[in-house]
Amino acid sequence: MIFVAGVSKAYRDGEVRREVLRGVDLEVGRGETAAIVGPSGSGKSTLLNVLGALDTPDAGTVRVDGVELSASRPAALAGFRNRSLGFVFQFHQLLPDFTALENVIMPGRIAGRSAASLQAHGLALLGQVGLEGRAADFPQQLSGGERQRVAICRALMLEPPVLLADEPTGNLDAASGAQVLDLLNGLQRRRGTTMVLVTHNPEVAGRCGRVLRLEGGRLTPERARNRERR
Amino acid sequence: MGFVWHVALRYFRSTRADAHIRVLASLTAGGLAVGTAALVLALAALSGFQNHLLEDLVRHTPTLQVEPGGRSGSANGAAGSAAPPVGRVDLVDRVTATEGVAAVQELLYARGWLVDRTGALAVEVVGYEQAPPAWIPVGDAAAPGLILPLSVALRMGLTAGGSARVVSPRAGLTPVGPRPRMRTLPVAAIYDSERAEYEELPVLLPLEQADALFAGGDRRLDLTLAPGADPEEVAADLRSAIAPAEGTVTTWRQANRALLFVLRLEKGLVFSAVALIVAVAAFALLAALSLVLSSKRSEIGVLAAMGAPPVRLQRLFLALGALLSVGGAGFGGAAGAGAAAFLDRFRVISLPSDVYIVDYVPFLVRGRDVLVVFLSTVIFTGAASLLSARRASRLDPVEAMRSART
Ligand SMILES: Nc1ncnc2c1ncn2[C@@H]1O[C@H](COP(=O)(O)OP(=O)(O)OP(=O)(O)O)[C@@H](O)[C@H]1O
Ligand SMILES: [Mg+2]
Repeated sequence: MIFVAGVSKAYRDGEVRREVLRGVDLEVGRGETAAIVGPSGSGKSTLLNVLGALDTPDAGTVRVDGVELSASRPAALAGFRNRSLGFVFQFHQLLPDFTALENVIMPGRIAGRSAASLQAHGLALLGQVGLEGRAADFPQQLSGGERQRVAICRALMLEPPVLLADEPTGNLDAASGAQVLDLLNGLQRRRGTTMVLVTHNPEVAGRCGRVLRLEGGRLTPERARNRERR
Repeated sequence: MGFVWHVALRYFRSTRADAHIRVLASLTAGGLAVGTAALVLALAALSGFQNHLLEDLVRHTPTLQVEPGGRSGSANGAAGSAAPPVGRVDLVDRVTATEGVAAVQELLYARGWLVDRTGALAVEVVGYEQAPPAWIPVGDAAAPGLILPLSVALRMGLTAGGSARVVSPRAGLTPVGPRPRMRTLPVAAIYDSERAEYEELPVLLPLEQADALFAGGDRRLDLTLAPGADPEEVAADLRSAIAPAEGTVTTWRQANRALLFVLRLEKGLVFSAVALIVAVAAFALLAALSLVLSSKRSEIGVLAAMGAPPVRLQRLFLALGALLSVGGAGFGGAAGAGAAAFLDRFRVISLPSDVYIVDYVPFLVRGRDVLVVFLSTVIFTGAASLLSARRASRLDPVEAMRSART
């Protein structure tokens, strides 16, 4: 489902060249869940952006859901992101001019569907994360954790085959974190969704099939015991 | 409502929240309102005036005219001969037979003198066939004879029912040597026209008399077209029916080419000058959209990340530009048209009638003018919108989302 080989990415900071990814290899099969852990600044978000066709690597191959990303045109990639990917951004990135519900159904609007046909599903999603009463609220009226949950609903709106989530439970307390994880697991069981999660939370990582550590620009498998000792 | 308008409307609403954007949005709307109103009003005033002028011109110029080329009459024109040469009769026949031609009137133009005991007055002479041409405002009841402009009649002390002597500059050969050709004719009618203010009015006399007196004068066929006939088509038909040596076909537009050109030039210049207001408003729109873009940068990035393709982001800003312009431009256009209608209806602006051909400023709101104003507004605001729309569509989503946090 996700196939990454030899991906490198460097940023130029004035004179300094910072190599964030140096030959990352990764394979995630259909319906699998992979957690990516690593210190801050190690390039986890960068890797996720590369997987999500938002950023182009300097070298290497990226294939997601059968699409060779480097060979596709921008318009085709836009369609691919809309159809095949669900994104949970590290900083929720809700649109402040739209209500919670409007934010949730936005991927459907982009796909060209009418608001009426999307509303019921959007409300159901909000209900599953305990926000049924906040559908008409604007992001400014929501707490950080509530915004994060709305952002997760938005990523799940079109039930994408691939979900890329950057610290989906970062701002959440244990209870709502569990709620979100249940939602993700439920979707995975029902639809066979492939997931790549970036997380600092050992409990979240523990619920994933595989845990990978990104450090020094390389991705290495991490055994559960190592993680718990840390 | 589709995605593009859904988001555009929401962003349009949010322009009120930011003080800077609000100022620029008001400037855009106000500038477009003033600009389109001024454009519509200026064009309406020009159209009103020009319409007045052209209507007058149309009344006095036939839609189509044919000027016979060869001066066949001058070579063999014996005194008293009223019979036209055979070639000309043939030409008239062919013109009459052309499809779309309802009537042909033959006219003869010359200069001559009106003479009485006290002296002579040089006048323009027009010989007419059957009835005086439509552009001479005289009742059709006129008996054959001289038709004099009022000014000439007053100068010569002539009245209808009297008689006057017309003298030709061409000498006729008589057994006692060359003598000036002259005829004494009854005065059939006297006419007056407002055109007397700016052109010399002709003396009219029946064609046979004119032919006899001024055989070498310039001939012209004035054509009346059948209703619905297209002058340009008829002109083309005539040109193929008449050899260039036989005669030249001139349409009303060609005959007044210089004037029509000046009128169009005038309109174009006034339009360009006033359109500058719209151009300035378009700059305000560009600034407003640029501010919206920079304040919404990360959100545009999010939309792109969720799969909104570049074209749709471009359309989003085009739609936003349209929303920011349509109110001002619509109001301005309507206000301009309304004001023009009011000023025309009640003749609010008056003019000294002895200087101008009308005693008030006429306004005429033409659909074509309004369309031109509309299109130019769309082009200016569209260009401004397109500039920011292209920038929006080229946004790098990752960069845009990062920018919001730093
Ligand atoms: N556009 C950019 N220009 C320059 N440097 C960048 C850019 N994007 C990322 N970086 C750098 O790349 C490195 C990796 O960034 P990234 O956001 O992927 O880290 P991360 O692993 O997600 O960290 P965190 O856990 O704090 O979110 C950082 O050092 C960052 O400064
Ligand atoms: Mg990150």
